[in-house]
Amino acid sequence: MSRIDPFTRENIGQGLIAAAEEMFASWGRTSQSTIIYEVLDYAAGLTDSRANLIGQANGVTGFLGTITYGVKSVIDKFGLDNLKPDDIVLTNDPYTGSGTHLCDVSAVMPIYYQGELIAFASNKGHWNEIGGMNLGSWSTGSTEIYQEGLQFPSIKVYREGELNTAVRDMIAANCRTPEMTLGDLYAQTASLRIAERRVVELCDKYGREAVKESIDSLLNKGKQRALNELKDMPKGTFSSEGYIDTESNGIDDVYITAEITITDEKFIIDITGSDEQVPAPINCTRYGALSAARVAYHSLASPDAQPNEGFYSPIELKGPQGTVFTATRPAPISCNWEGFAHLTDLVARALAPVMPERITAGHFLSIMGTIVGGIDDDSGSPFVLCEPQAGGWGAGVDKDGENGLVAIDDGDTYNIPVEVAEHKYPIRVEQYAFNLNSGAGKYRGGYGLYRDYRILNSSADLTVIASRYRYPPWGVAGGQQGSPNYIEVYHQDEEEPVTRPTFTNYSLVEGELVRFVTGGGGGYGKPEERNPKRVLEDVRDGFITVEEAENAYGVCLDAEKMIVLKEETEKLRSNRP
Amino acid sequence: MAIRVAVDIGGTFTDLVSLNEETGEITEEKAHTTPRNYARGVLNSIDQSGLSLEEASYFVHGTTVVINALTEKKGAKTALITTRGFRDVLEIGRSRRPDMYNYYFSKPEPFVRRAFRFEVTERLNNEGEVVTPLAEEELEDIIKTCRDEGVEALAVCFLHSYANPEHEKRCQEIIQEKLPGISITISSDLIRELREFERTSTTVLNAYVQPVTGSYLNTLEDELDNIGLKINPHAMQSNGGSATFSMARKTPINLVESGPVGGVIAGKVLGDIIGEENVITFDIGGTTAKTSLISRGELKVTKDYKVEETPRFPGYPIKLPVVDIIEIGNGGGSIAWVDDVGSLQVGPESAGAEPGPACYNQGGMQPTLTDANLVAGRINPDNFLGGDFEVSLEQAHKSLEEIASEFNISIKEAALGIIKRANSNMMNALKLISVRRGYDPREFVMVGQGGNGAVMGPELGKELRVNKIIIPPRPATFSAFGMLMTDLRQDRIQTQIMSLADCDLAKINSIYQQLENEARDVYFQQGIKDQDLLFIRSADIRYTGQEHTVQTPVESGKITDQELKSIREKFDQLHHNYYTFNLPESQAEFVNLNLTAYATVSKPELSRASDDGSLEKAYSGTRAILFNEFGAQESKVYQRQHLPVATSINGPLAVEESKSVTIIDPEQKLEVDQYGNLIITSRSDIR
Repeated sequence: MSRIDPFTRENIGQGLIAAAEEMFASWGRTSQSTIIYEVLDYAAGLTDSRANLIGQANGVTGFLGTITYGVKSVIDKFGLDNLKPDDIVLTNDPYTGSGTHLCDVSAVMPIYYQGELIAFASNKGHWNEIGGMNLGSWSTGSTEIYQEGLQFPSIKVYREGELNTAVRDMIAANCRTPEMTLGDLYAQTASLRIAERRVVELCDKYGREAVKESIDSLLNKGKQRALNELKDMPKGTFSSEGYIDTESNGIDDVYITAEITITDEKFIIDITGSDEQVPAPINCTRYGALSAARVAYHSLASPDAQPNEGFYSPIELKGPQGTVFTATRPAPISCNWEGFAHLTDLVARALAPVMPERITAGHFLSIMGTIVGGIDDDSGSPFVLCEPQAGGWGAGVDKDGENGLVAIDDGDTYNIPVEVAEHKYPIRVEQYAFNLNSGAGKYRGGYGLYRDYRILNSSADLTVIASRYRYPPWGVAGGQQGSPNYIEVYHQDEEEPVTRPTFTNYSLVEGELVRFVTGGGGGYGKPEERNPKRVLEDVRDGFITVEEAENAYGVCLDAEKMIVLKEETEKLRSNRP
Repeated sequence: MAIRVAVDIGGTFTDLVSLNEETGEITEEKAHTTPRNYARGVLNSIDQSGLSLEEASYFVHGTTVVINALTEKKGAKTALITTRGFRDVLEIGRSRRPDMYNYYFSKPEPFVRRAFRFEVTERLNNEGEVVTPLAEEELEDIIKTCRDEGVEALAVCFLHSYANPEHEKRCQEIIQEKLPGISITISSDLIRELREFERTSTTVLNAYVQPVTGSYLNTLEDELDNIGLKINPHAMQSNGGSATFSMARKTPINLVESGPVGGVIAGKVLGDIIGEENVITFDIGGTTAKTSLISRGELKVTKDYKVEETPRFPGYPIKLPVVDIIEIGNGGGSIAWVDDVGSLQVGPESAGAEPGPACYNQGGMQPTLTDANLVAGRINPDNFLGGDFEVSLEQAHKSLEEIASEFNISIKEAALGIIKRANSNMMNALKLISVRRGYDPREFVMVGQGGNGAVMGPELGKELRVNKIIIPPRPATFSAFGMLMTDLRQDRIQTQIMSLADCDLAKINSIYQQLENEARDVYFQQGIKDQDLLFIRSADIRYTGQEHTVQTPVESGKITDQELKSIREKFDQLHHNYYTFNLPESQAEFVNLNLTAYATVSKPELSRASDDGSLEKAYSGTRAILFNEFGAQESKVYQRQHLPVATSINGPLAVEESKSVTIIDPEQKLEVDQYGNLIITSRSDIR
């Protein structure tokens, strides 16, 4: 029976979660890359001594799901006996546990108290530059992983507190921006030590046994929570299918499918039937897929549950190795978020009809990973603008979709302010505005965005990838589908832009313009059921025109007086099927 | 005779505190807050106090008018003008999704709907150079729409206006001429810092609250004038300083945390008086607990304030200095509940004043922290709020039954459980403001205030290991007391990104000089003399490539190469303090130059406590008090007003006063200083 009272136990558990949060905050404040400090493309968490997730801070959902597997892979490689206090291990090996692309480097630190292993602190973030065929490292045109940058197959960068200078020098020699990359290494590893300090303080105060007991209690409660939630979820098997249509390396449509089975104790995702891995970097590995499964399950079961291993314990992923969701070496994975995001979307789409209170209509989904880079004319140094784009989300049973919001595999992720972008990179942002195309419905989809970059440097390279180019976000319950993602390049002396979902190391010269267009979300319910007052307000706000009000929603308006013409509207609507 | 008067509007009560500058005598008064017309409550409190405002030498007001207008969305009909291509920036925000797993997450609704967001053709680059001139003729249509639609307030925010305000200024001139009645805020008047969304948000919020704040302050000023106030009244600003009503009308958004700041200032003033320069303030009211930190006599301010921000909601940024206060939803009225996996939680839901805690016997059935404190014997049921208010110990017991049976423990253990959970929540806030920011609590004193600060403060202060815990006289109105002692304050910030290594010192010096001149002009217009002004400089510095900066102190006067070197060293040191590492070999750069301009007001001496009490007179019996560490302890009870100066007694004990009670455990010692403060320390004979 327990030695500490339940209230103290709870306090210790909260203290551990706070440690993860502090680790997260510290890294953000000290990083030298926009992708970390401005975009917040990173995550942090704490596991117990057996790699069970105890708690995590907000961050990128796609990263958070992999923390468990990253720590596991470190234990698998070294064995617990060969890990020592103040060791810090780096891994970005997607096939053994790190799970996402090579730019996302995980750091893992064992935490000891009086010689006994208590926990692991782990964080993972996007390093702006890690070598490879492309400036910014991740590539939209790679065909195998060796082109995608430096690989860290679980190596000790700190051995009992001492920096492994050989590793440091290797990193410096293989990256285009060594100072920034090493700065991020130091910021990332320093934040692990903050988590360590907090865990040790908890042991000092409450005793080691009490801390261990609290961890177990936290995990048990997580499991209990999961079982409670499963009880309320619809039981049975649900399926969906779709395509990943980035056109990367000329591969148009990659077929994907998933079957989701929910029982009182299990949440099973079976990806059997999805296409085999492709020679384009849109694959994800099994660990990426497991992470996607966590995100999808979490959203369905209980969005406000505290994430931990217990809560995630019902998840099972079935299906063969070697698919686009379970790619094996040396499949390219540098845009693995495509595989990841589409797996979450398959689950959402399968369950949307039966769990409308949890799932909104389809959203723009593809984060439209973007790099604009080159050698700055003024400084002669490389610049790498790397960012995700925000887009439109789907409508729900009682609300319109959100406008300009980051995609599901991002989380507490920020856009880069226009003024910051112009300070740091030789570009001018000419527009940041709503793309007013989305799925009509009783509730309409949210709007995607236009973001225009005018190149002010003699030359720059564009690398960008998007899916949902030919298959826009889906509507629900009679709501219309949303609008596609695409990128336009306006060359000088050419009227028509070059329009594609993917560009790879595409050359731009001074004065040319690239426009990133993210799609609008799907609608919910029939457009003819939309409250005419809402339609009127949308017209007033310039979201739709008077003609669209009539054509899409069957609402007649007096454009002069800005009022709804009731009789005409009723008549028009009653004539529609 | 000259008196200083502070009136502080709270959720339930409007507090008035006055200080007689000659005798040092302090009085306090409470009137009900009057939400329909806040000025009424202010005047009632003055009326009840019997003070004659004709004798007032200083009048300062803490008001909730701004925060209420924002949270209740009761500001003006507001329009926004932006650079062409960017009117949606206000709604796009930073596009973040902190509620990460929720497909139903909703972004903050913008304060200006799209129909009232206008664009004009103009463009500056990041150096402030004009790329496209302002198309003045385009303002015609905008002005017409604003007039037709009855827009009451207008915000203007152009890209890179922090580097060159000319387009915004011109825009303001044209509109002012055509729409004389409208209130206009241009971003460059408020902040000169980059990041367009945050700057636009700040500008919009200022515009949004300007008419309502203006009319409130006008009304109040007239009323105060009617009852004889001869001097300019002041409003309490969130930056920890005060401003005349006329200044407050221009930048009302500076009043957003007007109320809570008082408690922090009070902590600083108390520290100044008793010679403690490091203070943690800890203010526990009915619904929230607030803590802030004063280091070396200086308040900590933050520029990351967001209205209504929570871990799952992005809130609305205000990029202006706000005293760094951590606030959590745990106070006396916070409800204890068991979540769906069987964990005990306290707050953030509160029983409020209606129905109130179960012990109020007004129909509240759920257990609150106050009920737990009552059952634990920490609060005396026979002397609640000085005996003015009858509470039911029985109802408190009853409310705890469910939790007791859930955990299969006694009622008293359930009460202690609630106290432990609340303590833990508060402890997290206290750590966040102190150890997590690199401060060692042992170098600090804690000042416990608010209705419950004295009950919980000593226990938490001990756990945090502060040097001592101080419970000032009248802890419940201590916040208003703080306002009596505030200096006027302006903050000015100029973004200037420049490497420290090849720094143009002449430029840096001229910016600081210009910021000082601007601040000085504002004070001169109010008739404040040069000798009363105090300028404090700092710079936001970062390693090249980083975005977040460390605010680093800068000496006044001309910056030389020598001073530059010392600034760099201070920055490296501070970076290490905050983040456990630094990069002395890396390039560093200035981002913002900051100036805080104080106009100091004279501070009177406080009177010392009268000393006619004695321990015998103060002693009123004993009662059993439940302590976390020691279980039930029969404890002596004293009445505060009779405790003599230089009292020194060991716990366990309780000190009761009209609106509060101080609980001291067996390992602590109580002393009373010459100002009547209760000073609580750990007993040296035990530890």
